[in-house]
Amino acid sequence: MPPALSRVTKYTLYRAITLFLTVVVGVYLTIVIANMGGHIDKIRIAQIREAVGARLLVDPQVQALPASEIHKRIEQQVNLESQRLGLDKPFMLRSFNYLSDALSLSLGRAEVLTSDSGSRQVRLILVERLPATLLLFATANLLLFFVAIFVGLFLSRRYGSFLDRAVVALAPVSAAPSWFYGIFLILIFAALLKVLPFGGMVSAPPPGPALLYSLSVLKHLILPVSAILIGAIFVTIYSWRTFFLIYSAEDYVEMAKAKGLSSGTIERRYILRPTLPTIITTFSLGIIGIWTGSIILEIVFNWPGVGRLLFQAIGAFDTPVIVGAVVIYAYLLALTVFLLDIAYALVDPRVKVGGEGKP
Amino acid sequence: MEEVLLRVEELCLHYRTSRGIVQVVDSVSFEVGRNQALAVIGESGCGKSSLARAILRLLPRNVAVYTGGVFLDGTNVMLLGEERFRQEVRWVKVSLVPQAVMNSLNPVVKVGDQVAEPLVTHNLVKKAEAQERAKQVFRLVGVPLDFLQRYAFELSGGMRQRMAIAMALVADPSLVILDEPTSALDVLTQANILNMLKRIKREFQRSFILISHDVATSSELADSVAVMYAGQIVEVSNAAHFYHEPLHPYSQKLMASVPRLRQDRKPEFIPGQPASLINPAKNCRFAPRCQLRFSECEQEPPFFECGDRGRVKCWRYA
Repeated sequence: MPPALSRVTKYTLYRAITLFLTVVVGVYLTIVIANMGGHIDKIRIAQIREAVGARLLVDPQVQALPASEIHKRIEQQVNLESQRLGLDKPFMLRSFNYLSDALSLSLGRAEVLTSDSGSRQVRLILVERLPATLLLFATANLLLFFVAIFVGLFLSRRYGSFLDRAVVALAPVSAAPSWFYGIFLILIFAALLKVLPFGGMVSAPPPGPALLYSLSVLKHLILPVSAILIGAIFVTIYSWRTFFLIYSAEDYVEMAKAKGLSSGTIERRYILRPTLPTIITTFSLGIIGIWTGSIILEIVFNWPGVGRLLFQAIGAFDTPVIVGAVVIYAYLLALTVFLLDIAYALVDPRVKVGGEGKP
Repeated sequence: MEEVLLRVEELCLHYRTSRGIVQVVDSVSFEVGRNQALAVIGESGCGKSSLARAILRLLPRNVAVYTGGVFLDGTNVMLLGEERFRQEVRWVKVSLVPQAVMNSLNPVVKVGDQVAEPLVTHNLVKKAEAQERAKQVFRLVGVPLDFLQRYAFELSGGMRQRMAIAMALVADPSLVILDEPTSALDVLTQANILNMLKRIKREFQRSFILISHDVATSSELADSVAVMYAGQIVEVSNAAHFYHEPLHPYSQKLMASVPRLRQDRKPEFIPGQPASLINPAKNCRFAPRCQLRFSECEQEPPFFECGDRGRVKCWRYA
């Protein structure tokens, strides 16, 4: 094997293993935290005891028994049920079973929540919610990313112009979260002007033909997407503009100008290309952000996505759903970071994997 | 008198700062003949590099005043619009070897492409020919041809300097501005690069403006010398005379500070601090440091012609 190839293979393996270990640690922490370090067990045993008690005490045959006998029966049933759910084994031991299940993506069954089709499979519940979140946040984040980067570049080339100063002045608008603007948008466009829907993803009942259906979805998308944009666009443009401003001050940009290159070439080859690694990083991290959604925004707009699902799962102590969502996210994040390492080496000649700079 | 290639008239470049207007280039006038080399010498911060930028119109954002005339082959290029200036002057007529060569090459574009780039931009030749031409200039400055495929960070300082010179020569400009071309290099590399520049000047008949704070290296190349002090040119002299008998008291001090071979005299230093360029006084700017000053020095001196030796901005030659 040529030395370059073996170096790359070694590095790739090394990265894959370290990233996997990171995922393991992250998922395990989530399992411990979602179970409140085992405290959830006590809550669940109490719930079982309550349910068993309620069931037995309405039985006239049981009512006839003496109190100590009733108590014994309840304890018996509770133990049986705990054994069935595996609650009799110590949590620390079970946490590792949860971990291996989570890592092998057998996400198991939800405790409380069900999918809209009635399934308890965590996988099905997640798969049902994902498209809604992906649609909303992919639209908003991609729009945000591309608008911000190009407007940022534009403004950095026109430093100090009216538009530039306007964006800088508007940047603090992003101090408030997007759902805050969402509430106002609903108030104005849904309640007052009655031109756009209050929330949801499609009108009820959903229109049959595909075209009408997508039009209805589009109409429901306008307000949440606008809320996300208003909540982030100015500060994002501002940071890109400052970023490009710093890189436009590089000597090689000045030199490109002296060489008489057109400003389009300067922007492409001398500003965008050297900063491509940073741009790609921001882009891919933004893409992963799409998967988690946003809890409050989805609730404000009654959007049937992963964010709202997580909220419900946390409220109901439904740990399998929480862990399921997190493990998928962790894998995606690790995969993205892994691919980013490769992408860096492709777009930036200064990055050579595996230490030694000389080819 | 040989044909004039570049004539700079009353060129002013002032920057706006929080502490006031900085007059980095103040009413500077000089000429560069065809196939001539003009050395612009002076201390750090006297406005030499800003002068180079002013000629190429590479201005920072805080420009307050930018006036005067820059006549190239008789046309005042100061009057050209931004786009015409880019297409007709930059690199086609005037090119620049920058001061900070370390950062002047794009880190992610192969140097060969960067050298060939101006040719393609200005539609001088086809793309394939541009690579051929890049090879030619690489040979000219003594860089191995396989360096065409390398990136800037893979080159040593001396190689980058050669690369910058190759880039400056690629479009066959009539004037090359060298901004401290050897200041960041060790003496051996300095000597190599200066010899190379001398060869290029001899063989290719090109005009140079050599900006340097190093009097000794400037003497290698210069046909005439302009001395800058505090944003103004104080003396323009024939090189033959200048390096033996400079006219202006500042130039004399500058020459006295240069160590020489086979001489017992210790190099001198110039007392005092360089004058501030912020709101300078209306006297001779060198007067506070000048040991030869007299009452007239309270007024700003005009230029006095000194026959074939040059002209000097000092009352002693009135």
